[in-house]
Amino acid sequence: MATLTAARKYALQQDLEAILGRGGVLADPDELIVYESDGLTLFRALADFVVFPTSAEHVSAVVKLANREALPFVARGAGTGLSGGCLPAEGGIVISLMRMNRVLEVDYDNQLAVVEPGLVNLHLSWAVGPRGYYYAPDPSSQQACTIGGNIANNSGGPHTLKYGVTTNHVLGLEVVMPDGEIVWLGGRTRDTLGYDLAGVFVGSEGTFGIATKVVVRILKKPPAVKTLLAVFDAVPQASRAVSEIFARGLVPAAVEMIDQLTIQAVEDAFGCGYPRDAAAALLVELDGLRVGIETQAEQIAQACRDAGAREVRMARDEAERALLWKGRKSAFGAYGRVSPAYMVMDGVIPRTKLPYVLERVNAIVEAHGLRVGNVFHAGDGNLHPNILYDPRKPGEEARVVEAGAQIMKLCAEVGGSISGEHGIGLEKADFMPFIFSAADLALMQRLKNAFNPSGLCNPGKVFPTKKSCVEVGPVAYRPHPIEEKGLAQRF
Amino acid sequence: MLAVPLDKLRAIVGPAGVLSGVELSPFVVEGRTPEAAVFPGSLDEVRAVVELAAGAEIPIVAWGGGTAAAVGTPIAPARPGIVLGLGRLNRLVEHEPGDLTATAEAGTTVAALQTALRARGQWLSLDPPEPDRATLGGVMAANASGPRRHLYGTARDLVIGMTIVTADGAVVRAGGKVVKNVAGYDLPKLFVGSYGTLGIVVDVTVKLRPVPDQERLVGVRFERLKDAAAAARAVTASDLIPNALELLDAEAARALEATSTAAPTLVVGFDGLGEQVDWQCAELATLLGPVGAVGVQPLSAETWVRLAHAAPAAFGGAPAALMRLSVLPAQVGEVMDQAAVAARARGLACACSAHAGVGVVIAALFSDHESQELTRVVATLADWRGIARGSGGHAVLESAPLAVKSQVPAWDDAGAAGRIMQRIKAQLDPRNLLNPGRFVAGI
Repeated sequence: MATLTAARKYALQQDLEAILGRGGVLADPDELIVYESDGLTLFRALADFVVFPTSAEHVSAVVKLANREALPFVARGAGTGLSGGCLPAEGGIVISLMRMNRVLEVDYDNQLAVVEPGLVNLHLSWAVGPRGYYYAPDPSSQQACTIGGNIANNSGGPHTLKYGVTTNHVLGLEVVMPDGEIVWLGGRTRDTLGYDLAGVFVGSEGTFGIATKVVVRILKKPPAVKTLLAVFDAVPQASRAVSEIFARGLVPAAVEMIDQLTIQAVEDAFGCGYPRDAAAALLVELDGLRVGIETQAEQIAQACRDAGAREVRMARDEAERALLWKGRKSAFGAYGRVSPAYMVMDGVIPRTKLPYVLERVNAIVEAHGLRVGNVFHAGDGNLHPNILYDPRKPGEEARVVEAGAQIMKLCAEVGGSISGEHGIGLEKADFMPFIFSAADLALMQRLKNAFNPSGLCNPGKVFPTKKSCVEVGPVAYRPHPIEEKGLAQRF
Repeated sequence: MLAVPLDKLRAIVGPAGVLSGVELSPFVVEGRTPEAAVFPGSLDEVRAVVELAAGAEIPIVAWGGGTAAAVGTPIAPARPGIVLGLGRLNRLVEHEPGDLTATAEAGTTVAALQTALRARGQWLSLDPPEPDRATLGGVMAANASGPRRHLYGTARDLVIGMTIVTADGAVVRAGGKVVKNVAGYDLPKLFVGSYGTLGIVVDVTVKLRPVPDQERLVGVRFERLKDAAAAARAVTASDLIPNALELLDAEAARALEATSTAAPTLVVGFDGLGEQVDWQCAELATLLGPVGAVGVQPLSAETWVRLAHAAPAAFGGAPAALMRLSVLPAQVGEVMDQAAVAARARGLACACSAHAGVGVVIAALFSDHESQELTRVVATLADWRGIARGSGGHAVLESAPLAVKSQVPAWDDAGAAGRIMQRIKAQLDPRNLLNPGRFVAGI
């Protein structure tokens, strides 16, 4: 890496190996390249080192070394993030938590588990499943993403509509602070003392420190689950059905919308039984007591029919339910059938604005000469327009970025947010002024200063570059600061 | 020391919005009288008052309904400062039923907010004590909650946005208006439970829920507290989905129902469709019969509000001290038992109630002769704090006379986390003007 001289890099490698052993440090560019991006491949940045600690003490020692050397550092989980949040934007050390992946303790009496940050999300539900428990936040990447990464991004998922996002399930964390001190934020009890430090740590995108142990709530599996698929001939009907469901006082566990393009891609790839000619489908899940669930399912079916559903199917058994969910959760992979590449957008709008916003999203993408597939958490207004494109066609990627910026602007205009679950990271740092004033950002900066005064912990994320603070209107494609420094490239 | 510029405050909020002299008696806390009480009528007036006070280095104590005004460390700051009352800011700004969200000004009482929301079939699933006095902003600042937190969580789970006036008079929008939002840091979390030490909450946006078809409260009596606590654990491990699970010792249960033969009682709430409530009540009786339940009885809807005061109201008169112990849920029964043993050992009476499913014990200590028994009260409270710590938790002395509070810290020791809290305070309120000295870690 250009920022370090060979001699200094060699000396640092010796120091890191003294802490972690030879098997715990990568320094060869050929190996480092594996860690140059996350799930958002638009951004790339090469670290000087990737290290693999196995304890909080390891992490602390590495962080103290980084402080001594004034080297930036960033924590990394499975690298499934979609905003470039775990990239070493300014070089330095990537601290991979993948070897800290144990379930340390499960306390069923108090419905909590203590885990390490590198534990894969779904593996926690597997660990506690035999006793009838599960971990509620269920991002679509839950087969790969880690609890630590979920904490950084305050990740959601389909069932967070009823059960809340990551922050609602984290009781406490052992954290290596940006200066290397090991501190507990929160603990095992529901009420903590003083400011809600665990609450502000979750969703801080790795800029407040590195979690090394996490106390999470585990929930009892609901006794009954009912899954419906409502099929519509027009997208506005499906949007209206979402409003109808809530207007009738029903609280489903999940309400997911899937549009025609996505349905066709999913059917081509997996054959999950979605009708290919439908303009849109709603996947609705109810859970809770066995008693009354039929009544509630019928009320939901009726709400969908009243909004114009041409058909409402009820999953008859667990196999049918699993197939419907497979269609939803595999949608992102299925886009490969219809396009060489796509960019996932993540925005939030008030539920009632759904019909208007979906129409506008389609119009914006069309105006850029592109196609969009929508598969998203309609129940909480969390949109995921996926803009399809061909990176080999000159100029197409720039149009994707521009359309994406306009969609974010649209979400802001209707009173929404520029991220529901993927985070700001590098990708949306310059969109922050769409929804936050200079005063709002200044308060966030002060909070960051309290945790991370040196700024060495995951620099370059969340906050807009100074230039964009005064920019008005959509930000068109332009080289990112890290590209200008030659630390990253778009492709 | 400069006098508080009353004329300037009057110029901002109007003559009727500034109280001084004898009018300040409702705002006297632990013998300290503020220099003035100011009631702004708009966000801009709040901002102007804060800016003025900050410029003159006058401390500011935000005031909603005053229900939690006495909570905290009884330190007399260099000067008492002004009370900034949010009472005039009491409008429901926005309620969009289709979005299941609402924004209300901080001075809106919880009761008024719920009435307005219920008229459209929704509610804020938070039931703090004294809803007629407690304000939305105050509930956020004090992180107040009630029995229904068992199912619906606390303020941190329900707030999605806030408008804050910072210590230097800037207006900050924290969070947003949508139910899911990870853009930037989760600032609303910072202000929940911060007791007015980081900024003035001017309005709050919350998530709502539809009002359930039915709700019912059931009391299950036991001969022994131990059995009632085991029953609470059995409910938690069962397929039942109660919205409240309150464990009361015999003394606290006496305040609940006008019965002479008080017994340890498990109070369980259910809501949902009629058929769901019926089934759960029946299932509860089946479940708890074998574990020693001696009687299951429906309780009136008024019982909900009495639950908050069950422990302090157990003996008629006011308690000598009220402590809130945060512990692991499965240890609630044991903690209540240990607390009673500790009080008895010092010849004092006590009553305890608990949010059994979440691990919060409210313990009230009673003495007949306050002055003579001070030492014993102080010693018992120290024991109670030790019990909470022994169960992996902590204890907050929520109310006690000054004589007690001067010997028993209101807050527990926050340890290393306390230093981070101090750094946050120093960043957000560098001149230490917002409710100084009352909070955790000397903040």
